[in-house]
Amino acid sequence: MTRDSVFSGTLLEEQALDVQELASACAVAPEWVIERVQSGLLSVASSSGGEMRFVSTQLIRARRMATTERSFDANQELAALVTDLIEEVERLRRQLHR
Amino acid sequence: MEFKEYYQTLGVEKTAAADEIKRAYRSLARKFHPDVSKEADASARMAEINEAYAVLSDPEKRAAFDKLSQRRASGQDFQPPPGWDAGFEYSDAGTPGENAEDFSDFFNTLFGRSARARGAGGARAQMRGGDHHAKIIIDLADAYHGAARPISLRAARLDESGHVVTDERTLDVQIPKGVKEGQSIRLRGQGSAGIGGATAGDLYLEIAFESNAAYRIDGRDVTQTVPVAPWEAALGASIEVPTPSGRVEVNVPKGSANGRKLRLKGRGIPGAGSSNSAGDLYLELELTLPPADDEKSLQLYATMKREFAAFNPRQHMNDKS
Repeated sequence: MTRDSVFSGTLLEEQALDVQELASACAVAPEWVIERVQSGLLSVASSSGGEMRFVSTQLIRARRMATTERSFDANQELAALVTDLIEEVERLRRQLHR
Repeated sequence: MEFKEYYQTLGVEKTAAADEIKRAYRSLARKFHPDVSKEADASARMAEINEAYAVLSDPEKRAAFDKLSQRRASGQDFQPPPGWDAGFEYSDAGTPGENAEDFSDFFNTLFGRSARARGAGGARAQMRGGDHHAKIIIDLADAYHGAARPISLRAARLDESGHVVTDERTLDVQIPKGVKEGQSIRLRGQGSAGIGGATAGDLYLEIAFESNAAYRIDGRDVTQTVPVAPWEAALGASIEVPTPSGRVEVNVPKGSANGRKLRLKGRGIPGAGSSNSAGDLYLELELTLPPADDEKSLQLYATMKREFAAFNPRQHMNDKS
């Protein structure tokens, strides 16, 4: 087992991902991301000069949608609906512990 | 390397039809879905199930796996014989769309990135390393002050002879001050190594807070329960409270009721960077009664009973009925 020095990462809120980076992080093609943004199933954190940017919430949402589509051969709307419900369950669980 | 019995993982017979394999996979994918399942090892089970399905749902990989499995039993130490996959052609050259980095050494040796690199003919193929994802659980204090925290990671890489080996390493990661639950930290180049000189993938760490009964967290706002004596609430008092940002002196207003919240502006989780402001800390008062376990305290409670004869704590219940 090796031990490296301390690594400082970057918060996605400080340095957002572009389409290619989000696609790579979700193991999907860039077109997959663009299509879901255009369908309104995935939001963007910002879109300056035509370049879409994504932060943590979108990364987690996109990964959930991609996993659901793959696991259940779900179409993109159904996968987005499942992801909406998972996000709602998370919100309610947080409220329960608030 | 342990031989993986993929049919057992999915709970199907070796003769199972493609439809049957798909049904079994979907059923298990629902049961062990990491966002839904209450099973402790849901994520690990899901990775095994995904791996088994990646092989058994692909006719070419399944045929190659069946050929190997005729000679081996699950759990036995295993090395694939040279040329084991001769005669099998993989049309997709891998597992597109799947996080094969999460799969076992067994899978990666047979079908994963190393196999793809091996099969790339004379030219040395270049392939960017895959991105990795992990969740890191931190204390609330780490978000207040920032901290270096060790996380243990297992990563597969190719050794000099082209075999997949698994390295376990501990990475000390700087948790930035002001981080919120659900945020992701990106560590460039800390994912899978690239193949053929290509760049390594990245590591994404999703932040979660350690469960702590003393605090409730909403974004950067923090609520902390503070026990107070009945006379402190009734008469008002100056009390000292340990908070995540240090001890603070707080004035409890006279006549405070149980559950009253005192807001300490800007004493929640600090802002990250210049664009975010700090959250607030809410101190929720919890009236705590002194024990009535000796003669003197019993007498004091008896005096209160006498002096507060008109007090009915259930009056509001009578009003509603």
